[in-house]
Amino acid sequence: MRQEMRLLLAERSLWLVSALFLLLIGYALYNGVHQTTLRDRAQAAITTDDARTRADQLSQLGRIMAGREVPSPFQNPADPARMGGGFGAHHALMPSAPLAPVALGQTDLFPGQFKVTYQSKIHFIHANDIENPWHLLSGHFDLAFVIVYLLPLLIFALSYNLLSVERESGTLKLLLSQPLALRTLVLGKVAVRAGVLLGLAVLVPLGVLLLARPESAGAGTSTLWWSLLVGAYALFWFALVVAVNAFGRSSASNAMLLVISWVVLVLIAPVLLNLGVTAASPAPSRTELATRTRMVTIEAMNRYSKLLSADYRHIGKPEVLLPKDGKIEMSGRALASYSIQKQIDEEIQPDLDRFDAQHARQQQLVARYSLLSPAAVAYEGMTALAGTGARRYAHFHDLMDGHHQAWKKFFFPRIDGGIAITEADFPRIPRFVWTEEDARLIDRQAFPALLKLVMPSLLLLGIAAWRLRSYPVV
Amino acid sequence: MIALIARKDLLERGRDGRLYWAGSVVLVLLFIALAVGYGRQSEVRAEQKAAQALDYKDWLSQDQRHPHDAAHQGMHAFKPEAALAIVDPGITPYIGGTLWLQAHRQSEVKFRPAQDATGLQRFGDLSVGWIMQVLGPLLVIVLGFNAFAAERENGILRQTLSLGVSPLQLLWGKALALAASLAALLTPAALAAAVVVTLGADAGEGLDALQRFAALALGYALYLAIFIFLALGVSAASSTSRVALTVLLALWIGNAVIAPRVMSELSRHWHPSPTKLEFSKALSAGLKSEADRAWQMAFGTTERWGRDVPLNKWGYALQLDDQTGYAVYDRLYGQLWDTYERQQALQAWSGLVLPVLAVRAFSMGMAGTDFVHHRDFTTAAETHRRTIQDIMSRDLVANADPLGNQHFAYQAGPELWSQVKPFDYHPPAAIWALRRSLMSLSILGGSLLLTLAFAYAAVVRQRAL
Repeated sequence: MRQEMRLLLAERSLWLVSALFLLLIGYALYNGVHQTTLRDRAQAAITTDDARTRADQLSQLGRIMAGREVPSPFQNPADPARMGGGFGAHHALMPSAPLAPVALGQTDLFPGQFKVTYQSKIHFIHANDIENPWHLLSGHFDLAFVIVYLLPLLIFALSYNLLSVERESGTLKLLLSQPLALRTLVLGKVAVRAGVLLGLAVLVPLGVLLLARPESAGAGTSTLWWSLLVGAYALFWFALVVAVNAFGRSSASNAMLLVISWVVLVLIAPVLLNLGVTAASPAPSRTELATRTRMVTIEAMNRYSKLLSADYRHIGKPEVLLPKDGKIEMSGRALASYSIQKQIDEEIQPDLDRFDAQHARQQQLVARYSLLSPAAVAYEGMTALAGTGARRYAHFHDLMDGHHQAWKKFFFPRIDGGIAITEADFPRIPRFVWTEEDARLIDRQAFPALLKLVMPSLLLLGIAAWRLRSYPVV
Repeated sequence: MIALIARKDLLERGRDGRLYWAGSVVLVLLFIALAVGYGRQSEVRAEQKAAQALDYKDWLSQDQRHPHDAAHQGMHAFKPEAALAIVDPGITPYIGGTLWLQAHRQSEVKFRPAQDATGLQRFGDLSVGWIMQVLGPLLVIVLGFNAFAAERENGILRQTLSLGVSPLQLLWGKALALAASLAALLTPAALAAAVVVTLGADAGEGLDALQRFAALALGYALYLAIFIFLALGVSAASSTSRVALTVLLALWIGNAVIAPRVMSELSRHWHPSPTKLEFSKALSAGLKSEADRAWQMAFGTTERWGRDVPLNKWGYALQLDDQTGYAVYDRLYGQLWDTYERQQALQAWSGLVLPVLAVRAFSMGMAGTDFVHHRDFTTAAETHRRTIQDIMSRDLVANADPLGNQHFAYQAGPELWSQVKPFDYHPPAAIWALRRSLMSLSILGGSLLLTLAFAYAAVVRQRAL
């Protein structure tokens, strides 16, 4: 193996491929860290803005209670219907996971924050972040992309002629005349190449992450799984290279065969898999959901039409906007809008649940059939570990649901009872608290992904070992 | 002579298995994409039409109610899916098609289909456009990489040249042969696609869809032509077939797989979009300053809906509030959408050397699934929203304001609802789309000229000795 190492080092191809790989990894990491930082900064700005709004509302309430200010009807911090609605709304945020820069995943597609109010979720869960749809279509140039799409090609570049070149140049005969088994030779060659590529693919990102985001040091398990996943994915492609070489064809046909398998497994299979999953388990119709929402809204508006016809009283009597003995008079229209939203929330929830269930079903199908494409397994696995995949977003939705419930539980009785919000209530207003998903879930998802990569690799290696026994040395 | 060379190449290609297996894989994928696209689209379009009709029916059958409540109920605008979305869905999966036109605010499109899909969606959509953009060049490369190199390896090239055949004649002959074999493969698929597109189009829009399809086919022909000359040029310039294949595959991967992502990152860097918070802050600030100015002039106060504006002015105040906002929305959304278009233009320009980006822009543009078309729809929907608001406020000024403190007791009826016409949107005509896609088409043409020049330069250096 030492000999092979020396040979490889003397060759230009190793340096060329390594430099190219390093360049790709570097650019991908730069993008990953840059995008994650932008995202974190945007979230920090939201948090600051929310806190400032809340503080302003508190001091406004102080002035109101001291009799120094009469609030406007739609921006009254003493009015629970306003504070529970858009005026007092706060954001629920999903922070970036430590490994986020290695796979940006769905961060550009799914919003990482929701402005939670007492209204039905349908009003705020579709508030998307700003991103050019053309960019969403292209996807990010992140480390997951470099590994899933480009690493196999670099593996090919270094080893498509692993054995064939030795045979074609006649050195194989020479080598095997020494006390050296063919299998040992192959193993040595693969080990050297894998060592170089994997060293770069794992160590460089780890180093960069530790420097750019020191908090990623705490993500030991995820990092370990991620390294194993990259290793297993590389193993698959090396196994394929060895298997293809073992059939003893020319270097040219080896290269052709490898590129074809890359096109099929990386480009075509995931796209077909996506097509199959969507066809087997299509999402419920969004058009229908829009129609349902409108019908529910109409129904609720008709039900509360009397309240809607009540006129605002604060014009003649501004004092109605002020709390009195802990109570506050809410306008008929504010009450109507609250009751309407409450009804919409209750009636539309089952429809929203159908979408969630559907999404979970599709994800299960992907998990079951991703075996067909190692690229799909690796990509899904990496985004899951980076906390940018479907599972963590579903977890965020669950947490946000809980917060939405708590929010409603806090404001509904106050609105129903006409109880004014006091300064003492402010610290008690529910806050969204992010808790990281169960670490065992990560293991539970990462392990099968690893198996799905290792099993076909072993199969390929088995084929290779069988073919190598009758390898035409001459 | 050119025809003779082409015939010889075609004959050889016929004997070689490559044309059959590579071609049939691409063909099978093309037909799957068409079949799936057609099935999905007919369902989606029928559903959208039904929903749009039902929506207007609900609007008309409102009870007696306050017009502002009617404006709150509002209407939905469903973006009709383009007939050619079967061929190239473009940004459709990544942008919603549903707008709720309600009082007070310009709405944003909801429901991006990709959000209802799994992470695998990000690998791409199986569509004719994707296959042609990504796999099309690969097909050309597989068929053409050894056009010159193989002949040089087995000595035929020198023989041919020594007979006095000019290298340029060889180039054109070989290009013709490649084009003919591609045409033989793809013409049936194109005809099938044309039939599917015409069948799928709405009544009266079939011709328009066909015109769009013809332009789109021209775009892809240019795109494949670029790769024909690239493959021939590289094949002529390379010492062996192996080198030619390696170089071409590297170029293909750079173009089809790497370029779209890198150019997206760069254009995002070059023309950054605002964050959601920045955008909504700017919007609120713009709306507030405009409204403050208007309210100060009309009512002598900037405090909105407070005690200084009596209820008998609320109809007028609502009208004022809406109408001062229109310009702010136009300015800020206009800036945002201009940024998107600048980002896209930058990427289309890079199509000069990375043709996939030019053909992608052109293909989406002609299919009616690009951002320009989307912007046209959103603008139409917003115009309709404003019409609803204006009709409702006008009625309030005329009928509710005179009621004094009984403003919200006022109720209008069906004759007011019927003043609002249904939202009937038709995508712009093919010629409009073509005019807006001229840039990407010329970039494709420019790219073809560049590769042509490269192929010329590579081929004229071929000598018999």
